[in-house]
Amino acid sequence: MKYILLILLITISIDLSAQQKQFAKDDNGNFIYYQVVDSQSLSKDTLLQRAKSFVNVVQKKTMKAESITDTSVLAKGTMIIDKTILVVGHPSGEVSYNFVFEVRKGKYRFWLTDLLFIPYQRDRYGNFVATTKIGVPLERTPGKLGAGAWKDIVNSTYTKIEKFGEDFKRYLATDRVEKAKKRTETISTKKWE
Amino acid sequence: MKKLLTAIFAMAGTTCALAQETTTSPLEISGSVDTYFKYDFAKKANNITTSFASDHNSVSLGMIDIALKKKTGKASFVGELSFGPRGQSQSIPDAAAGGSSFHIQNLYVNYDFTDQFSMTAGYMGTFIGYEVISPVGNFNYSTSYLFTNGPFQNAGIKATYKFSDKVSLMAGVFNDWNVYSATRGVSAVGGQLMVAPVEGWTAYLNVLSGAGAGGYGTIEDLTTSYQITKEFKLGLNAANYDIDNDGGGYAGAALYPQYAVADGVILGLRGEYFKYKDVGPVQGVKYTAVTLTANIKSGGLTFIPEVRLDHSGDKPFFNKSGGAAPNAGQFSLAAVYAF
Repeated sequence: MKYILLILLITISIDLSAQQKQFAKDDNGNFIYYQVVDSQSLSKDTLLQRAKSFVNVVQKKTMKAESITDTSVLAKGTMIIDKTILVVGHPSGEVSYNFVFEVRKGKYRFWLTDLLFIPYQRDRYGNFVATTKIGVPLERTPGKLGAGAWKDIVNSTYTKIEKFGEDFKRYLATDRVEKAKKRTETISTKKWE
Repeated sequence: MKKLLTAIFAMAGTTCALAQETTTSPLEISGSVDTYFKYDFAKKANNITTSFASDHNSVSLGMIDIALKKKTGKASFVGELSFGPRGQSQSIPDAAAGGSSFHIQNLYVNYDFTDQFSMTAGYMGTFIGYEVISPVGNFNYSTSYLFTNGPFQNAGIKATYKFSDKVSLMAGVFNDWNVYSATRGVSAVGGQLMVAPVEGWTAYLNVLSGAGAGGYGTIEDLTTSYQITKEFKLGLNAANYDIDNDGGGYAGAALYPQYAVADGVILGLRGEYFKYKDVGPVQGVKYTAVTLTANIKSGGLTFIPEVRLDHSGDKPFFNKSGGAAPNAGQFSLAAVYAF
């Protein structure tokens, strides 16, 4: 009985935490994912270099820098949204976004906004491809027929963007040069005493 | 119980660890299920002889279609099978004689040598034409004369080079149409030029020459669609097929205007002109057909009510008493679920 109650409690907690994940809105009423990060240990230049490297190298297939100044990086990007259940699923569409990064001494902020969803459809070869080039704003109010599916898309997008944000913060906090120096450990089997 | 849980966690942990170490994408599973009711105004089954949805006054089956795709590094495969009338006896070829087996929609492997250049080998949905076998890939539930008479699938090897997002070129060698193994050798060559001149407009210029339906011949095909506004999309398919030695063929064109009238509700029209070519003194039959279709979407489910009116001065249709008629009409209501 105790176990059943525990499982119920965990399930409800997971459900509540899933419900809490939602986008904030910016001054124009658009969805926004906004983060301010305190980073006293890294210089402004280092943070800017790493942000540029993240856009131009790490995400070069999905992001394109639009403007770079000595305090900011502006880029456009896309991310694939998939209906994944464990290891099985398929892409359901892509979301395009505008990315803004700004840095000051000891801290930086970034946000993703202008989120547009483009649905995918399976083509004649069994591949999922965009059905249109015209994206639908993610903050639109869907009709009754598509409300459930739209909610899933918004939730999936939030999860993806949240992961993107975590990856970005981790990248900016990590010294790649030091990491590159760490080579794979070599084990010699010639001596074993 | 403890041992079982430990084993499960160990397996899950191993799977996660493996996933981190490779660039393997998850196995994709997708597909569709469709069913329909059709009422022919002359109360005849198969009165309009285009592919699928052939029954009259019956709630009938389309097919269940299941596709698997996986990509590991630069290599990928697609395997897609369908079961049910639309995916068995009404598609060609049926995997076994008698219409009681299954139909292979796609079975191929692909290798991306670079971001621009890839090669594909196996059995693939044809690159010719606007419509496809899967009801998920079509706006209208009934199919056009151009689709019915063109190739459904091509087995072969093809190479695709993507010059940019706006231009790509495909060239390949293929078996004769719709066969898992060649009956006349690797006997056809084909190519496709894709151009996307403005955002939202994509055009495919296709050529396939070699062994096909009715003999050796050449088919030229233009398939294009343009999403002009958020609500309005216009599609066009035009094709010409000449069989060598005046063996016939066909020519035709179909226009597909579609308009989104509300969220999840799209109305569309298909207007088609189609003519079989004359063979010696025998004149080919001409058809005009108009199909009004709605797509009403709710999640993965799409309802497709449709009214279709066909005309031919050669009277290839039947009237209620079984006599030859110049006109035929039908109403159908289909439900298609895609997953």
